[in-house]
Amino acid sequence: MEIQTAVYSIIIITVFIALLLFYINRKLREYDPLSEPKGIVLLVMMAAQTFDKMVSDKTDKKVAKYLTPYIMTVALYIFLSNIAGLFALETPTSNYSVTLTLAALTCILIEVFSFSERGVKGYIKSWFEPLAPFVVMNIMSKLSTLLSLSLRLFGNILSGGILMSVIYQMLAVISHKIPFIGDFNIVGVIVAPALHFYFDLFSGVMQAFIFITLTVAFIGKELPNK
Amino acid sequence: MEKGIMALAAALCVCGGCVTGIFEGKVAIQAVESIGKNPDAADKIQSMAIIGAAISETCAIYCLLVAFLIIFILGA
Repeated sequence: MEIQTAVYSIIIITVFIALLLFYINRKLREYDPLSEPKGIVLLVMMAAQTFDKMVSDKTDKKVAKYLTPYIMTVALYIFLSNIAGLFALETPTSNYSVTLTLAALTCILIEVFSFSERGVKGYIKSWFEPLAPFVVMNIMSKLSTLLSLSLRLFGNILSGGILMSVIYQMLAVISHKIPFIGDFNIVGVIVAPALHFYFDLFSGVMQAFIFITLTVAFIGKELPNK
Repeated sequence: MEKGIMALAAALCVCGGCVTGIFEGKVAIQAVESIGKNPDAADKIQSMAIIGAAISETCAIYCLLVAFLIIFILGA
């Protein structure tokens, strides 16, 4: 069996996140609640507040207590995976297995919240709403959630990576025409950083944000009186 | 010959993204207009606009994926 190269970058990112969270945990333990927060403690507090507000706006306070840590972890993981291309790692999110796993987790969470809200009878009944033959439509809509969530993330990041490699090839051809320094890709050095900023940083942040927003919105849809 | 037709097919696939581009721009226009009319609801409108844009973008991404499949799997 051949091992895909994305596995190594997944391992590196997972270890990095574990170490980062360990470090933050230690800092938070050392932090004196009466003093003014600064540095990484302040940053983490602001992030937690923002995410908690976002989640509890769409769902309710009780659900937000369980959901916010998961949402923050997924956001951190997707963001770091999307910008891994900047650190010469292969982007894990341009591997369909990774995005399918993330989308499957979201779908399972939707079903779990739907089950816990409706109970056994109501949950089974929700598959046959509004009429019994609509069960096919319901299954299709659940599958389309899975497909669209995973393919959106995958397609965006993969297309960014492929476009960047095509642009690098084109810039190498252009800078080959310049006399004396032809072999050195001088045009690439000038043009590429702006494109990296758009394709890696901007679309990485955007896609992570869209993924978690959609996850929260889909879960909020299952809860009553929302 | 075959490769040329594949390239044309991939290019035609990506044309599906044009319509998405136009109407995703329309989402942004409407969001900006309604924020201008009602600045208090900016947070809600922003998240709704992003969700709408993201869902309609799926169409363009499917076009792109089919184009990639044609190029990298059929054309390889």
